[in-house]
Amino acid sequence: MPSLRDATAEAPAPVRAVANALAQYVDRLGTVWVEGQIAQMSRRPGLTTVFMTLRDPIADLSLSVTCSRVLLDSLNPPLVEGASVVIHAKPNLYAARGSLSLQAREIRMVGIGELLARLERRRQLLAAEGLFVQERKRSLPFLPRTIGLVTSPGSDADRDVQENARRRWPAVRFRVVKARMQGVQSAREVIEAVEALDVDPEVDVIVIARGGGSVEDLLPFSDEAVVRAVFKARTPVVSAIGHEADQPLLDLVADLRASTPTDAARRIVPDLAEESALVAQARERLRSGLRNWLDREEHALTAIRSRPAMADPRHLVDARSDEVDQLRHRARRCLGHQLDRASDDVTHQAARVAALSPLATLRRGYAVLQGADGHVVTAVGEVATGDLVSVRVADGRIATRVESTNQMSEVPDEQADA
Amino acid sequence: MTEQELTYEQAREELVAVVQKLEAGGTTLEESLALWERGEALARTCQEWLDGARARLDKVMDDTDV
Repeated sequence: MPSLRDATAEAPAPVRAVANALAQYVDRLGTVWVEGQIAQMSRRPGLTTVFMTLRDPIADLSLSVTCSRVLLDSLNPPLVEGASVVIHAKPNLYAARGSLSLQAREIRMVGIGELLARLERRRQLLAAEGLFVQERKRSLPFLPRTIGLVTSPGSDADRDVQENARRRWPAVRFRVVKARMQGVQSAREVIEAVEALDVDPEVDVIVIARGGGSVEDLLPFSDEAVVRAVFKARTPVVSAIGHEADQPLLDLVADLRASTPTDAARRIVPDLAEESALVAQARERLRSGLRNWLDREEHALTAIRSRPAMADPRHLVDARSDEVDQLRHRARRCLGHQLDRASDDVTHQAARVAALSPLATLRRGYAVLQGADGHVVTAVGEVATGDLVSVRVADGRIATRVESTNQMSEVPDEQADA
Repeated sequence: MTEQELTYEQAREELVAVVQKLEAGGTTLEESLALWERGEALARTCQEWLDGARARLDKVMDDTDV
């Protein structure tokens, strides 16, 4: 057979020659072990061959796989779309159609034990890298403005999150980004959804919600790319994957792990009734605190005002008024005594004056001779002839003039009237 | 008088001081009267503060406790 390289525009090779040559080339490739997910499977009635699409879990590319119906039917549990499989296959070019496919010779379901062992290895690797450390967890906002929800719309998980959140906080806002939560497209769609919500400035928390499922169903949530996308997100991410025993890795990388979508609703928004009650309680304490303070102060003020010094200011005057009365009384009494004493003294003095008075002597006929200057004349020599003198008698005075004087030789010691 | 500018605590403190001084005695009548008038004014100020506070409290209570 001439080599196809010899073909020219003038002598081109026929399609069959090219197709056959390609088929032979592909045939020489030998067998290969390949791992992927069954994205699609079509059993056509009457055909012994089943056509399947084997999809890469991350990259958007796939290969066709053909498999004999006998081989497919021998699998236990039966192969379903979405299953992870390892296929021992031989690449084959179906020359009649020019279509490339992998002819499956052996299909191994990736068993649960195997799956779990791989997940565990992946978990250890990612943990060693520090993706699950507690210090990297972001805390959730008390009240998010908008909640980004990644779920399949209309699912139970979707309803559980939204209804329960709304019941707790009626004004809650959601931005739902649709993603298939199962199957081969799931991982990619979840990543895209998380990235879309992460860049939305209104979204304060992202919830990835899905109901429970088997280990295989939940595989996308242990997908390394999903885990890394969640780790990278700057917005806090809540994992709300319902499951029982085995934890998807998403739970470990998420900032908060809710046990179910309903639980997630409880964690992302506060309970309005509860918060209102707290506010009401605080307000009541605030008011009663003020009221008690007012009562106390008013009581104290009343006590101060009712002290005698303030309550009855008249006593300020009264006390002094009493004092004044007393003083006045004392002053009067004191003055009275003095007056009495003075009066006694006057009487006494008057008596003394009376006793000393020469009047009685005068009445008996004696007289007192006084000089013009009023001095009492007791000796002849004190007057001269012609002097005016005054004679004091009992009832008056007699003015006279000295006619003559006659001095006696001796003046007797006795009184003149003796 | 500057009691309008006093806080409740200032007014009350001064009131207590005034009453104590009044009770202690030793002041002239004129001083006593001045003290007493000051005390009355301070007591009025305190009462105004308290009444005002209570009115505000009652208003809030009336507004919200329907």
